Amino acid sequence: MILRNETKPTKSVIHHSLPMCVALIIALISLWYLSNDSAENRINFDELALGTETSIYLNRENVTQILCHDLTDAYKCIGGYNLKPRNIEEDLVLWLGNSQLHSINQMKPADETATVLLQKSINALGKNVLTFSQPNANLQEHYVLLNYLIGKLPISTLVLPVVFDDMRETGIRHNIVDAFEEEDVSRRLEKTEIGKELLLTYKREDMHGNEMAASGKTSQDSIESFLNSGLESLWPAWGERAALRASFLYGFLYKTRNWLFNINPSSIRKMIPGRYAQNFKALSGILATAEELDMKVLLYIAPIRNDVQIPYDAVEYDIFKNKVNLISNEYDNVFYKNLEGIVPAKFWGTKPSTASGIAEEIDFMHFQAGGHEILSNAILLHLRSIWNED
Amino acid sequence: MIFNSLTYFLLLFLVVVLYWFFSYRLRLLLIFIASLIFYGFWRVEFIPVMLFSVVVDYFIAIKLSNSSSLVKKRLLITSVLVNLGLLFYFKYLIFFSESAVGIINLLGMNADPFVLKIILPLGISFYTFQTLSYTVDVYRNTIKPEKDFILYACYVTFFPQLVAGPVLRAAEVIHQFSNRIVFSWLHIVIGLRRITYGLFLKVVLADNIGTLVDTGFSMPVDAMSALDVWTLAFLFGFQIYFDFCAYSHIALGSARLMGIKFPENFNFPYLANSPRDFWRRWHISLSSWIRDYLYLPLIGKKVQDRSVGGLSDALTRRRNSVALFTTWGLMGLWHGANWTFVLWGLYHAVIIYMYRLLSPLTSSFSRRFKLLGGVLITLPIMMLSWIPFRAETLDIALRMWLKVLNPFLYSSLGMRENSYLAAVIILIGIFITYWIKHHFIPNINQDSYGLFLGRVLSFTIMFSLIIIFFRPINQFIYFQF
Repeated sequence: MILRNETKPTKSVIHHSLPMCVALIIALISLWYLSNDSAENRINFDELALGTETSIYLNRENVTQILCHDLTDAYKCIGGYNLKPRNIEEDLVLWLGNSQLHSINQMKPADETATVLLQKSINALGKNVLTFSQPNANLQEHYVLLNYLIGKLPISTLVLPVVFDDMRETGIRHNIVDAFEEEDVSRRLEKTEIGKELLLTYKREDMHGNEMAASGKTSQDSIESFLNSGLESLWPAWGERAALRASFLYGFLYKTRNWLFNINPSSIRKMIPGRYAQNFKALSGILATAEELDMKVLLYIAPIRNDVQIPYDAVEYDIFKNKVNLISNEYDNVFYKNLEGIVPAKFWGTKPSTASGIAEEIDFMHFQAGGHEILSNAILLHLRSIWNED
Repeated sequence: MIFNSLTYFLLLFLVVVLYWFFSYRLRLLLIFIASLIFYGFWRVEFIPVMLFSVVVDYFIAIKLSNSSSLVKKRLLITSVLVNLGLLFYFKYLIFFSESAVGIINLLGMNADPFVLKIILPLGISFYTFQTLSYTVDVYRNTIKPEKDFILYACYVTFFPQLVAGPVLRAAEVIHQFSNRIVFSWLHIVIGLRRITYGLFLKVVLADNIGTLVDTGFSMPVDAMSALDVWTLAFLFGFQIYFDFCAYSHIALGSARLMGIKFPENFNFPYLANSPRDFWRRWHISLSSWIRDYLYLPLIGKKVQDRSVGGLSDALTRRRNSVALFTTWGLMGLWHGANWTFVLWGLYHAVIIYMYRLLSPLTSSFSRRFKLLGGVLITLPIMMLSWIPFRAETLDIALRMWLKVLNPFLYSSLGMRENSYLAAVIILIGIFITYWIKHHFIPNINQDSYGLFLGRVLSFTIMFSLIIIFFRPINQFIYFQF
């Protein structure tokens, strides 16, 4: 069929369209090339702080999983625990934390994380441990996750590391946000000021006057999913866009920023007042919840590499540790321990640089298997003393 | 249906292809049906609400053309009551009932809050304004009533502008629908280029800045420093600008693919050198609508009937403070049923009032100084206005503003360093973009290889980033108005 009134391309049309056509071809070829890049070079955006020298430990203790991340895999840990034969009902230790708990620097085939080692040790005591850890997890996320898990698991003891670096983080990641959908989680969170704030921020669809609540559940959702999967099958690069986004944000923007401003792991990370305050409110919320449920809490300052100058302001870090200690003293069920120096220098490692043009950097957060063993032993020691007090 | 989705582009592709093959009559039917499909993807049950407004004004406008002046007035009042009644019920009933309960409780009497569950139909603020202005224009004899219902319905419901504008005048669009537009590749190329700009602004810039803004505004106000408030004001200012400007680009581009031309809605607003200049550059179609259908009638001036010039032309002519504050209060309420939006409107009224008082004092300054100084003063003042626009409550907005006035709160930073960095880079980027567009490109050889390569490079970056960031994760901010 011939278009009626069709005109021939003019010089103006070519002038306007040629750069766009050439650019589109270059963009498509570039994306096709980048999406075919080797899997090792891919960046998991959530875990970008780990680098290639630190591996995420994918645990299995026999057939049940005891190390999970968030709501997306929580069912594996919860289901696995519920299948276990147990002598007593309230035997469960819940260990919340950040990537330190699920990653091993310079990992070798037989290496295991502190969680797995602890499970092996306390199994003889008729107890079990489940760990939920997320990269750069903040205490607000721990607070929400704890409230989600207490309705599903008979937690008797909580092990909670506090990391100064993670006090700079805020917000609830989308893999945890779904917890707000559960009525009993909302009800429990409403008991505290920080819980109310989190509900207000992350449960917006329940607020009146927000028309987005309606448009979020339109028929477009299913058609959009159908078109996306169709496009993915036709053009695989479409399905790789999350990795490409991570490459752009981390491989380009993040590294360029670090290079430009000479930012490295040793750069001093100042406390961020708002986030700091929010996370301490969340810590109080966690401890109050634990007290209400008669749960023992082992609250500890997480190990950090200390053979070099730490990347914190020394005064701020001391104030932080004192504050954690002071808060723990407000509760009879909370036992505070400072484990910042327990992992010796030989068990720490390096990681690829997060700035362009530099080879390697010190890793302050993730230690080798030897460090996990030390941490596990320390936790076991303190748990024993807590349990013996009973 | 949202623009930043595959569904929209599939619909647009099908409509554009069929449009150019169809006869005149079929084209109108195609646009009307496509517009209903577009709207129905959100909620089918609200299509009758929209069509009710369309049908009422269609018949009222026809009746207006051959009625006596008394009947004309009554018909006009009917149209105003119907359209504003719809707007009031769907958009403001909850707000006013809650405010009334609040006032009663403040007076010491006990009143239980009403429980009203009313969903705001998407785009109601836009299409009621268009139908209303159509009837007003017929009443004023500016235009003749359109007898062809489908053609008239296309003007109101045309999907590229249906849910977030630009607010179009009948005189600007109906004549374009009433002719069979001749196909030209230039329409396609220009349309695609505008859509590319729009998608880049939305999915790459606005959505990513939105993450920083959301995180910043979720912080307790007590923990914010004055610099944090400034940074959040600037970041939200950039987000809403990119977001809404993106919508306008995609709307203009989508319409242009069918040969329909819309008036421009933005023109580098943050480079305005006065509040008056700002409203000539920001959401131009709305500000000129408000000028012609609200402000000028309030002060008894003749209307201008065009979507250009913004509020500014009118505001300088009469010093009618009551009209100024009424107009801006209503402009705020139009944006949202919340006192924060009223505060936003009144803030602009105060700024314009102050500008009127002070601008004669600057008459002796050099033009260059006025331009540069104007930009440097106007930019932060306009950015601060976004605080109540984004804040959840009036209390939060006022507390954030108070922080800015406290000189002791300028010594600390309360957010991640990336937020400050992003604000500075984007601000510089806007100035550079303006300079390239208005000063660099017009002054170089348009056929040079350098310009060609520059265009290829910029489009390559835009296409690549659009493809990897293209996700319908966020609505356009103006969808909620």
